Amino acid sequence: MHRIWDHGGPLTVRDLFDELREERNIAYTTVMSTMDNLHRKGWLARERDGKAYRYTPVATREEYSARLMREAMAAAGDTEAVLSHFVAQMDGSESAALRAVLAKLAGGRA
Amino acid sequence: MITALALLGYAVCAAWCVPALLAPLTRRGASVRAGLAAWLTAMASVLVSVAVAIEISFRTVAADWPQLTQALCRSVAGSACTPAVYRSALYEGGTAALAILTTLLAAVALWRYVHRVQRSRRQTRAHAEAARLVGRALPDGIAAAGGVPGAGATWHRPAAAVVLDDPRPAAYCVAGRPAAIVLTSGALQVLDPPQLGAVLAHERAHLAHGDHLLQTLTQGLAAAFPGVPLFTRGAAEVARLTEMGADDTAARASSRPALVAALLAIATGTVIPTTGIPSPGAGAAGAAGAALPSGALPAAARAVPDRVERLLCPSTPARSAAFTAALAFALAVLTAAPLALTLLSTT
Repeated sequence: MHRIWDHGGPLTVRDLFDELREERNIAYTTVMSTMDNLHRKGWLARERDGKAYRYTPVATREEYSARLMREAMAAAGDTEAVLSHFVAQMDGSESAALRAVLAKLAGGRA
Repeated sequence: MITALALLGYAVCAAWCVPALLAPLTRRGASVRAGLAAWLTAMASVLVSVAVAIEISFRTVAADWPQLTQALCRSVAGSACTPAVYRSALYEGGTAALAILTTLLAAVALWRYVHRVQRSRRQTRAHAEAARLVGRALPDGIAAAGGVPGAGATWHRPAAAVVLDDPRPAAYCVAGRPAAIVLTSGALQVLDPPQLGAVLAHERAHLAHGDHLLQTLTQGLAAAFPGVPLFTRGAAEVARLTEMGADDTAARASSRPALVAALLAIATGTVIPTTGIPSPGAGAAGAAGAALPSGALPAAARAVPDRVERLLCPSTPARSAAFTAALAFALAVLTAAPLALTLLSTT
């Protein structure tokens, strides 16, 4: 997936296979089935070009990243995905209150 | 039938009163396992009581039905229309209405539960998959820091740690197949390697403990019974306890000061040197206690000082034992009460 994003434009299985083969030993069918899987899962769009498909990412990495972060940062009620946060998400005033306490702590010790 | 009413009464009482009694006992996380066991037993005890009550009331109706219809037929025929017949008809009608009403409510709750669990499982898997595709791999050198290799491995594959580009510091794990631990680039900026190790150990502990299963269960129940304190408050308290349990494991795998520094760093988004954190013990007790007046903070922000305080001033063994004993007693009562009610009212 990273490879396709870095590439930018549309890409056939053959293009990606040639690119990957320079680095490691990989079967053409592996690349093909991986891309087909990604298409089925809605990550890649494809259009027929002669005998082959040309694949393009449905959204940029940044868009996906932003979507994930929105889901992760949403208040507990908005998302139903089970995420275990290291620290519960706080809004601005809450983290400001905590920062103030910490500042007092640092000041007290100095 | 008295048994069914007694069990229903118990379930209602327990669902509304138990949270107020249990919360103070599990609040400081003196004994994480006993606390989790007590909350889950309370939920199971209420659910089983209601299920048994429904079963009993249906059985009562079914057992008395032939006799009742016979009596009604006779009274309609005009030969034996006594007040006793009307009384028993009223009684049966009431019982049947109660049984049907409770069953309907239970069915609605079950539907809500299944719906919620399915949706959250789907979203969780999608999130984990997307995170693994979008995130960049955590550099190997950092990933190995402080972490026990394979500690976060689920029964499928080890959890991968990935980095998403976002200035807000955050770290979380998402269960999926396989699971993923997600860190933002903002989090990496405020953490030094030992602190990062502590964060990873914390998240791996969540996955190794199977906390996502507990969370799915309790959140599903909370969605199934909105407004019932045992389930709504219970879900929050169970989440709190699993955090503390993961903290304990992470503190053993890395160090308490590093974990505390990491907590504060991610919560506030500033670099917190580990050396500034007092090591746990007698000296720290006063410092942390006085420095973090958690009462003044809003709830979400209060969770952090609570955990920091707990890590810096761990409960004495005697105190932990006292809490464990109290929770074991609560557990015994919650198990015994429905059984005792059933036995008393049937003999």
